[in-house]
Amino acid sequence: MKIKDKILIVEDEANISGFIAAILAANGYDTMTAGTGSEAISMITSHCPDLILLDLGLPDMDGGGILQFVREWSTCPIIVVSARNHERDKVEALDAGADDYIVKPFGTSELLARIRTAIRHTRTHLPNGEIAQSGQFRARGLAIDYDKHQVLVDGVNVHLTQNEYKLVSLLGKYAGRVLTYDFIIRQLWGPKAKNDNQILRVNMANIRRKIEKNPAQPEYIFTEIGVGYRMIDPD
Amino acid sequence: MRWRDWAVTAGLLLLGYGVCSALLPFDQSGGFAAMIFVLMVVLIARLTEGYACGVAASFVGVICVNYVFTYPYWQLDFTISGYPLTFLSMLSVSLIVSALTSQIKHQEQLRAETDREAMRANLLRAVSHDLRTPLTSIVGSASAILENDALLTPQQKTALLRSVRDEAQWLIRMVENLLSITRMGDGDAHIHKELEAAEEVLASVAAKFQKRFGGVRLVLTAPQEPLFVPMDAILVEQVLLNLLENAAYHGKSTCIRLSAERREGDAVFTIRDNGCGIAPELLPNLFSPSRQGQTHTSDGRRNMGIGLSVCSSIVRAHGGALAAANAREGGAVFYFTLPTDQPSTEEPAL
Repeated sequence: MKIKDKILIVEDEANISGFIAAILAANGYDTMTAGTGSEAISMITSHCPDLILLDLGLPDMDGGGILQFVREWSTCPIIVVSARNHERDKVEALDAGADDYIVKPFGTSELLARIRTAIRHTRTHLPNGEIAQSGQFRARGLAIDYDKHQVLVDGVNVHLTQNEYKLVSLLGKYAGRVLTYDFIIRQLWGPKAKNDNQILRVNMANIRRKIEKNPAQPEYIFTEIGVGYRMIDPD
Repeated sequence: MRWRDWAVTAGLLLLGYGVCSALLPFDQSGGFAAMIFVLMVVLIARLTEGYACGVAASFVGVICVNYVFTYPYWQLDFTISGYPLTFLSMLSVSLIVSALTSQIKHQEQLRAETDREAMRANLLRAVSHDLRTPLTSIVGSASAILENDALLTPQQKTALLRSVRDEAQWLIRMVENLLSITRMGDGDAHIHKELEAAEEVLASVAAKFQKRFGGVRLVLTAPQEPLFVPMDAILVEQVLLNLLENAAYHGKSTCIRLSAERREGDAVFTIRDNGCGIAPELLPNLFSPSRQGQTHTSDGRRNMGIGLSVCSSIVRAHGGALAAANAREGGAVFYFTLPTDQPSTEEPAL
């Protein structure tokens, strides 16, 4: 028998955790639910789930507390589910170690896709196993050649500058995940870099004009406004 | 504020002193001095807040007139005939003017508050009306399925469930609009602007829109050069989303063109659809919230009013303008400008 991935749903609204559990069960996952923060912590420590869906607004403690608690000892993927739609909340959750962030109300297909991506990331071992093996990242027409430091679109070298290449290759390593502006800046220019994301944004605007057919309808790199960028999943 | 008031007081008194000194050689009697100081006291009382500055100015004025500009010069002489009268009239002038000024300011504040309250109340009334209908439909459809499970065909159930989902999605859109209003705060000056790339906003809106209206073709045009516009992106997205959904829902459009471009110092966003256009009698008051309750559109509940008045306030809060027209070749065109804070002739500073 196939062993199913175990997902812990931390959510205080019984209606919502009920419908999420039903969808996940129908799609081949084992589910557990926790309605409070303390219950969640005891279940995480005793069951070691493969993924945690975490609501930030819990009756007994802030979801951020659970995030910190888990990140002290585990890399178990955590997807934050929240009704707070402010960019600041998203950035805080991602910087505190959440793997992804999904805002209520969300569609079921969106939720399932995010779960698959997050679980795959732990399987392939960070950052991206495929790249380590072949030295290449491929998604549709886009290819990043990590050995030759080139980015190709439909087989043609798009001639990125040094910074542009660094940015695209970083996103490729974490494909499928949102990287916050701060994270990217620290990775590209070091921890002492000015916390000004304007240079980053200008670089990205230029990259988009080189690799996307229509910059307003990107195929490869998506913007989460006010939060950061996400590269599409590799093939 | 305090400092400015006292500076104004000192400045005007010095001015009065200067004018009197300049006039003294021409008229030794100094009869004009009292008049000039009264004028200054009136100005001070009008230009400053509260009573303190006006009253202080009338004291200084009286002493000045007595000490400097009345015979015997450079001496205080309280025995001059008419002195108490000058003093009293200056004091009362200052008190009356200060009182009137404060009253006017207070009334202006009250009026602004009443306007805001009225707007809120209108909105609330319209919203609660608009919320009740979809909720009724959701509760009705859901109970129909729960209570008559055996009687309904699978097709009927699917239809009912679909209406539940559609109504709920409409409620979400409504709530997003309400959230935008709270995000804007009380006045118009509380939005938090950041430089955003126009194409990123277009892409993000397009993705959200296509999730709901997959059947509508959306043609996006990004500006040639990267165009960075100071804005609250969540609010501007809300505007674009409202306009797109109106085009799809009310205009019954099958193809919508959405573009952003730089024009002089502004970024111009244009939404052009191929739908049924806007009824000419609606055009003049399209963006005012007072249009609520008029049900010109084919189905009155989903009137565009709240969405459009929210759009218009968001754009205005950014210092831009929103306008609508019917295109000659058919369909409606909505466009709005957002200032970029960059001179038009200059190359983008990248």
